Amino acid sequence: MLGTAVKIRVERRLELPRRTSAAISGLLILLSFVVASAVFELLGVNSVRTLSTIVSVFLSPTSLLQAVIRGMPIGLAALGLSLAFRMNFWNIGAEGQLYMGMFAATGVVLLHAYYGAIPEQLLFTTMILASFVSGGLYCTLPGYLKAKLGVNEILPTLMLNYVAILFVDFLVYGPWRDPKGFSFPLSITFPDYARMDGFLGNASYLGLTMALVVAAIVYVLMNWTTIGFEMRVVGQNVDAAKYGGINLLRTTLIGSFLAGGLAGVGGLIIVSGLIGRLRPRASPGYGYTAIIVAFLAGLNPWLIVPASIFFGGLLVAGEAIQAALNLPVAAVQVFQAIIFIMIIVAEFFKRYRVTIRR
Amino acid sequence: MAAVGWLESILAGAVQAGTVFLIASLGEIYAERSGVLNLGMEGMMIVGAAVSFIVTNALGHGYAILAVLLMGLALGLGHAFLTVTLKLNQIVVGLALTILGLGLGGLLGNAEIRRRLILALNPAVEERNLIVQEAAKLPDIPIPVLKDIPVLGGMFFQQNALIYLSLVLTFVMWFILFRTRFGLALRSVGENPAMADAMGINVFITRYIAMAICGMLGALAGSYLFIGYQPFWVEGMTNGRGFIALALVILATWNPLRAVLAAYLFGGVETLQFRLQLLGVAAQIPQFLLMLPYIVTIVTLTLLSLESVRKRIGVPAALGIPYSRE
Repeated sequence: MLGTAVKIRVERRLELPRRTSAAISGLLILLSFVVASAVFELLGVNSVRTLSTIVSVFLSPTSLLQAVIRGMPIGLAALGLSLAFRMNFWNIGAEGQLYMGMFAATGVVLLHAYYGAIPEQLLFTTMILASFVSGGLYCTLPGYLKAKLGVNEILPTLMLNYVAILFVDFLVYGPWRDPKGFSFPLSITFPDYARMDGFLGNASYLGLTMALVVAAIVYVLMNWTTIGFEMRVVGQNVDAAKYGGINLLRTTLIGSFLAGGLAGVGGLIIVSGLIGRLRPRASPGYGYTAIIVAFLAGLNPWLIVPASIFFGGLLVAGEAIQAALNLPVAAVQVFQAIIFIMIIVAEFFKRYRVTIRR
Repeated sequence: MAAVGWLESILAGAVQAGTVFLIASLGEIYAERSGVLNLGMEGMMIVGAAVSFIVTNALGHGYAILAVLLMGLALGLGHAFLTVTLKLNQIVVGLALTILGLGLGGLLGNAEIRRRLILALNPAVEERNLIVQEAAKLPDIPIPVLKDIPVLGGMFFQQNALIYLSLVLTFVMWFILFRTRFGLALRSVGENPAMADAMGINVFITRYIAMAICGMLGALAGSYLFIGYQPFWVEGMTNGRGFIALALVILATWNPLRAVLAAYLFGGVETLQFRLQLLGVAAQIPQFLLMLPYIVTIVTLTLLSLESVRKRIGVPAALGIPYSRE
């Protein structure tokens, strides 16, 4: 038996029917449940209870609403990333851009609360704009370095995450700390009209609406506008873009601004929809999860919305697991990572056909 | 006199804090010199820290380091399988590995799971070892005579075994990289894999070896962080150090000898920030001081992009690109 030679042949696929592609993705996501169970069992964790807790999150309306609002910062950041990745701009900095969005949104609230600037009715709109511009500008810096000087964007965007997190730390430990807050590192609580629960009584509804509107805008922008076309050409072939007379600097700046701006609005959702104030380390890595979501959705803006709700649900499940099974949230993180790896491996099988012959 | 003593302790602290970065960046240098960008360093480190936490409490330091090296080897080879054999995107694979590592680190550090694993490794273990949040720190081994040299004695001759090992490794890895045939092969694979292939160098195996080394050193860096530097378990205790190590590789321009200086510089910043906090000097400063390594990295990257600088230093040209013989 051992003597039989097994030949593995790997050929590049010439075409990939939609059905095959979906089948590969589905199979590997199923496989990630199996692998995750194996890892959990290996560590002596009851995998059936862990996974059934995860599934049950999506079956109850209350926890589903929680999943939605937890998923929206991820979703907006992922929508931004879908633009950036299409442009071949490897923005690993959504996390930092989220923090810059939180910073700007909170700044607007403080201007209003401390100095009476900006009327109540315009406050939320101003917060959206401010967080968009703040996150956007933060992402144009690496964008500029890339387009102008050819600096690879991966490490700068990654490094800027830590700078933004530390900057927010500085604010809440220092000048922005609530004067009546018993010296806890927290900003003042936002007034009701600066929070998202005003709309239909739950922040999830407004969050979901915002995400769907943004998904539509991203779809139209990428498929029907000149700038969207230019961004795609830059992503596919920089040299062709240059020959075709596309202004590389302008396209990269606009693309990175939009990408960072959407993550910035995600930051607004964190402070305005989830917490209701600014605190240090307010994002438990939403910006990194957004990368997984963007890939899971194949950069398709419509699929990003449900995918981000799925990952929001995983976060909610993490807390449920912690409470019910006394396990760290990390169990969910392991599950996320395994799904992520399976999605990447699926890419391989979509690109190549593997046949095994004896 | 007090000022001199304070400076000496800062410098010794810079070495202790910097060794985490040094060990990790030595591994990353080999990976990147071979053309593989390993963004999974952070994950490898936290797994290394968690494994050494468990195994030290079960069986002691020796077995802990052995287990950590094996774990790192597995992670490094896993990364290589996905990026070299399956030719998947190195950025995405690295990030996935980091997320996986952070998750595994959290699971392994969990009280209940840890207890079970320690008991499985050593059923006769003392009850205390099952519950503590810490582990025995590696002992310092002062070197006679040399330890009394002012400043340098405190920095280099009153430290633990892993710090000595990191210094030896630096020289050995520099020598291998620049003075041996294997080093030449490694560098040419990262520079021009097609040419290296034509000259009879096995690109795939070379990259596998580089990633194996990188994985082992990444996990060892995490292990040092725990048993050699801060032997108290905190979830997510690497706190971005793996990414700083990546930055440091650039600052060191892919050279092990320069990595020492850069690592101690970053270690010095970390130590200084702790001390300033202890002294209560300007509560606002720490955050800005902590931003320095990241900002320095961005500036360095920008400088490196200038053509003249780039040519002189030799950035691995094929960094991040999977090799395919088609």
